[in-house]
Amino acid sequence: MPAKWNPELEFKPSRELSIGVELELQILNSRDYNLARDAGDLLALLERTPHPGAVKPEITESMIEVNTSVHMKFATLRAELLEIRDAVSKAAAQLNLRIAGGGSHPFHKWSDRRIYPTERFKHLLSVYGYLAKQFTVFGQHIHVGVPDGDTAIHLTHALSRYIPHFIALSASSPFQQGTDTDFQSSRLNTVSAFPLSGTLPLVHTWSEFVAYFEKMQRFGIVESMKDFYWDTRPKPEFGTVEIRVLDTPLTVERAAQLAAYAQTLAHYLLMQQPLPTSDDVYLVYKYNRFQACRYGVGGAYIDAQTQQRGTLQRDILDTLELLRPYARTLDTEAPLSALRAEAEASKSDAAWLREAYQKLGSLNDVARRQSEQWMGSPLNA
Amino acid sequence: MTEVQFLPQFPLTANPLALFGGMLLSGALTGELVRRVLNLPRITGYVLIGLTLGASGLDVLDARMLGYTRVFLDIGLGLVLFELGRRINFAWLLRDRWLAAMSLAESMLSFACMFGALRWLDVEPLYAAIAAAIGVSSSPAIVLLVARELRAEGQVTERALNLVAINSVVAFVLTTMLLSWIHREYQAGWFVILLHPLYILAGSCFLGLAASWLALKLAGWLGKRIELHAALLLGIVVLLVGAAEALKLSILLSLLTFGVLIGNMDREHKLMPVDVGRFSQIFFVVLFVASGALLHIGDLVAGGAVAAVYIAARFVGKSIGVLCFAHLSGIRAGSGGLLSIALLPMSGIALAIAQSTGTSYPGFSAKLSVIVLAATLILELIGPLAVQFALRRAGEAREE
Repeated sequence: MPAKWNPELEFKPSRELSIGVELELQILNSRDYNLARDAGDLLALLERTPHPGAVKPEITESMIEVNTSVHMKFATLRAELLEIRDAVSKAAAQLNLRIAGGGSHPFHKWSDRRIYPTERFKHLLSVYGYLAKQFTVFGQHIHVGVPDGDTAIHLTHALSRYIPHFIALSASSPFQQGTDTDFQSSRLNTVSAFPLSGTLPLVHTWSEFVAYFEKMQRFGIVESMKDFYWDTRPKPEFGTVEIRVLDTPLTVERAAQLAAYAQTLAHYLLMQQPLPTSDDVYLVYKYNRFQACRYGVGGAYIDAQTQQRGTLQRDILDTLELLRPYARTLDTEAPLSALRAEAEASKSDAAWLREAYQKLGSLNDVARRQSEQWMGSPLNA
Repeated sequence: MTEVQFLPQFPLTANPLALFGGMLLSGALTGELVRRVLNLPRITGYVLIGLTLGASGLDVLDARMLGYTRVFLDIGLGLVLFELGRRINFAWLLRDRWLAAMSLAESMLSFACMFGALRWLDVEPLYAAIAAAIGVSSSPAIVLLVARELRAEGQVTERALNLVAINSVVAFVLTTMLLSWIHREYQAGWFVILLHPLYILAGSCFLGLAASWLALKLAGWLGKRIELHAALLLGIVVLLVGAAEALKLSILLSLLTFGVLIGNMDREHKLMPVDVGRFSQIFFVVLFVASGALLHIGDLVAGGAVAAVYIAARFVGKSIGVLCFAHLSGIRAGSGGLLSIALLPMSGIALAIAQSTGTSYPGFSAKLSVIVLAATLILELIGPLAVQFALRRAGEAREE
């Protein structure tokens, strides 16, 4: 029996290599820099203030999500992100709130969180129980435009080899619930608890994917694409591949640089088609992913194709080298060299946060510095 | 009879500790009962048991007995004001000037409305002005405690607390200034008329400033240790209450100044965000039992009608002040109305002011009490409910 036609699975083509960014952000109070619950008021105020992009609620009242529009160039993406940041910061300051980046809030208690009152979020609470509140972690999603569904499937698989790069370069969640987790990105452990997390199954074309999806739908496991919490997933509605493993960095600058990295990498992968989609990538996938979460660029990395074991730092630096010509065509040399410098020096947002804790001696101060880092000048205006 | 001297002598003399424990226990139990059975705020229960045990009821807690608990009440009051002061953020008021404008507007308009209404009822200008000045302040204790009890957090809660802090200061300054008017009424010299308010205002602010400076110095030396900072702050709060009393300064203004300045002077973020309220809860219970005991149902009969007009005028003034600026200061539609409701509770401090004026000028107090005490009684009972309603309606209470 053919499944009924599902408009959600119609792949809407978009411009190849266009990019867009979503950032989940922390709303803090200015008293002890714990998470606040003012998403509703902040969103209402932003509705009345002109700003580029979009601002949306997220699963708990302590979060908001900002989206950029679609860009072809790093420079314009960066400019828009800065404008959004300034608008959000200004509105937050008017409500005596602070906004912070970072993949996790260093000391909030998940049981204190309240679900943002929309039907979808209430439904998630009823399905997932405490996991829904623990999901108060903050990620960056990068969308890369592709012309059709087959390309989306291909790119999703091709990117999986590089997922640890994005984890390590964005890692900014060393603290959770008042404790140092020893991880660089502890946020992904929270995501892993969901039954539909993981990766796209080994389908090779869009029609194979649609068949898979419809089977899952018939089983009653999923209702929509939104139910898959995969690390990387095709997004037919936007005509993009969405990379979802990144922690929200401490600054929008860094968020833009990471989007530039994704764009350049996608350019290389689509031009060169260097990797045949293979099971082997997924054999080492979880190991590499864990190493990146736990140790950041200092983690081990197994290359499934060459079967060589090295460090993630080496693999990132080699990849950046490989991308040089593509960066030139896309105008992403500057952001990529910024990332290179960080990787070479083994610096990261997670390390920055740990240093702040060392120096300041309290996690309240860490959260405060986190917000000062993200908000930048509007806070002092 | 020497062999039984180890036995207590009857009748037993009142013991402050036993009294404190008894008030705490009866308050806590009644508060819980009222919450479970009637779904009212616990504070209403504290006030009700106070009324029952106090002058209007069984008369167990009479003025003499309450005198024994004075020290605990002062500590409780000091803690409330300190915590409230810490919520005031100068940087916020500068950034959201409409909030600052709102606070001045609601203070001034409520004063004007109450004064106008009382004059309309033919109350003499002096009494009308003092009663209006007292009514400017919303109860810091009630708003803070209901917010704590509901674990409320959000724009209405934060703004209500900031407005309460500011209108408490305005009310205090107004009444202190009017004190000089009373001095004149009682033929005091010009020297006293000028110097008394000045001494209280400047002295209390200086005391708060000195305490903030000391606290920040010591916090820097202690390092980031939350339990040490808790001891430090509690110690200084109690010390400051005692010092203000000894120097005949205002506990309200000293503690509020301390709370405000310690946050706003701490540019290097030396002080940790200690939740002093956790330690204060027991004092708050006793504070409200005592304020219930001080109230006289009789006042309601004597001053009920005037009080009703006074309360209505007060609410109108505050609401207009708040609503005019609600939209401009960036809160959601509807929040302005809830904010006005949250400002309804009247300060138990009104009681203290009315009575301290009474001790300096007996006779004056009696005239004033008819107006103010009846209103206080009504609003001590309705106030917690109003705040609970406003914060729940705003979706800021943390019950699910």
